[in-house]
Amino acid sequence: MVAAALAFAGLYARVLTAPAPGGFAFPQTPARAASSPAKPFFSGELLPNSTTASVHSAAAAEISGGRLRAFWYGGSREGASDVSIYTSVYAPREGSWSPEHVVVNREFAQRHLRRYIRKLGNPVVGRDRSGRLCLFFVSVSVGGWAGSAINEMVSDDEGETWSPPRRLITSPFFNISTLVKGAPLQFSDGAMGLPVYHEFLGKFGELLRLDAEGRVIRKTRLSWGKSSLQPVIVPRSATEAVGLMRYAGDPPDRILVIRTNDGGAHWSEPVKTELPNPNAAIASVLLAGGDLLLAFNNAEENREDLSLALSADFGNKWRLVRKLEPGSPPAPVSEYSYPWMMQDQAGDIHVLYTWGRSRIKHARFNRGWLESRP
Amino acid sequence: MSSVNAVFGLSGCALFSLALIATVLRLQRLPVRVRHAVMLAAALALLVPLGDLSITAYVRGAIGDLSIPTLVLAGGACVRQLIGRTVIGQADRRALCWILAVAAAFLYPFALGLTPFDPYALGYGSIGFVTALLFVTLAAWQRRRYLVVLVVLSATLAYLAGAYESRNLWDYLIDPLAALYALAWLFGRALGRRSVEVADTKTQLV
Repeated sequence: MVAAALAFAGLYARVLTAPAPGGFAFPQTPARAASSPAKPFFSGELLPNSTTASVHSAAAAEISGGRLRAFWYGGSREGASDVSIYTSVYAPREGSWSPEHVVVNREFAQRHLRRYIRKLGNPVVGRDRSGRLCLFFVSVSVGGWAGSAINEMVSDDEGETWSPPRRLITSPFFNISTLVKGAPLQFSDGAMGLPVYHEFLGKFGELLRLDAEGRVIRKTRLSWGKSSLQPVIVPRSATEAVGLMRYAGDPPDRILVIRTNDGGAHWSEPVKTELPNPNAAIASVLLAGGDLLLAFNNAEENREDLSLALSADFGNKWRLVRKLEPGSPPAPVSEYSYPWMMQDQAGDIHVLYTWGRSRIKHARFNRGWLESRP
Repeated sequence: MSSVNAVFGLSGCALFSLALIATVLRLQRLPVRVRHAVMLAAALALLVPLGDLSITAYVRGAIGDLSIPTLVLAGGACVRQLIGRTVIGQADRRALCWILAVAAAFLYPFALGLTPFDPYALGYGSIGFVTALLFVTLAAWQRRRYLVVLVVLSATLAYLAGAYESRNLWDYLIDPLAALYALAWLFGRALGRRSVEVADTKTQLV
């Protein structure tokens, strides 16, 4: 009886003393240029890939010195056991990427996670409130991507060295069917937000809150059912954020939008935008000045057109501004997909995306290029 | 803490695997010394690493960390096969299985995206959830279903101690294997009762 009283006292104490969840930390990046050079600027180059036949799902974070550190997965093919997570660093002054190297492979992951790992998948990267780089990546032990779980590694030195991976527990059903694609974000209470999605029996999005140790301490459902995935969350104040999601339902195939006005505690039901979506990932970023920029495949049928659209009213109306692909020369496989987008502290915008499944491409441009006539 | 979590997780998977092996081999039919030898050999085979990983690590990769009810039932199965008699009474087992079945029906369909409501999120800290658990525990205590009380208290203490990687109370209280076992056991009992009733009716007719 005493043990029961103590155990439940402990449970009640934990619930009652838990701090109320904070709103979004805003701005998400502390210092951002108010304006970019007016002269239009664009550069595009392929990231190094000396070892793998297939690459996919790039992510990047700005690190010290205005550099970019990118991550992606590569191997003989998607889902192969030789897939590893690679990294490379971009030096803006030289305009070049360092040779890629492996951050984590299957053997390393399973040795530290103390469980069998069959394959690796999507990485995403962000910073926690103490400034550490946090790399999240998908792994699968059994089955296909529906059997995915998420793992986290942390770096105190801008990605030179990493902690061993730790497993995030996100589902009560064998902890499977949780994947990442959207950029992590920060909350004002120090928690980290991680947009995730499930694709086992349903396809739907959730927003996880992680504590400083990388443990899931709360989560909120962004959608439900079988047709929405890969949420991208963009806050514009402590309380307000928009979410954009890939669509996998019945036609018409459109990008989905959701909204919150209470710091992510509650979200509106997904609504179709006017923008097409061929069941493909999207990326979005809030630019200095308040416009929302979107990178997306501008078609319902395929991933051959990768375009950019701007919204001046936080996602209600969109204006097509630029086409990134197909460019010249075209990729051997006509697929330009899985964009990752960010604005650095100097004001430049970076889009990394899968180029023909064989390379990751980096497009760097400024607001002037975005607004200038093609 | 992650290595402590790994020890707990791997130990649970090893216990589950041992219970499975002992039950499939029906060890209780063998001489006592042979039972112990088989269990010892199985434990060694499960836990000794082959290269980077032990067999238990493969099991953990497939099923994840196991809830306290699964561990208690697996422990009960091991003891039964070792000493030749059950240590979990029918009434206790029935009560636990009913609670697990109801919890599974409440948790899994909704947690897997059937509706906007996500009961799994309650496990991160909900007064209502903790109070419901308290009532279940008190009811079990009042009806002398001490296995249920033991399971809830063990799960609560493991959760408070952070034994697993999860910070969600549900993961200590139930997992799909416990839910499947409970449903199968209740279904089997219902079928058994029905066939007895049919046999009784036939006997009366004759």
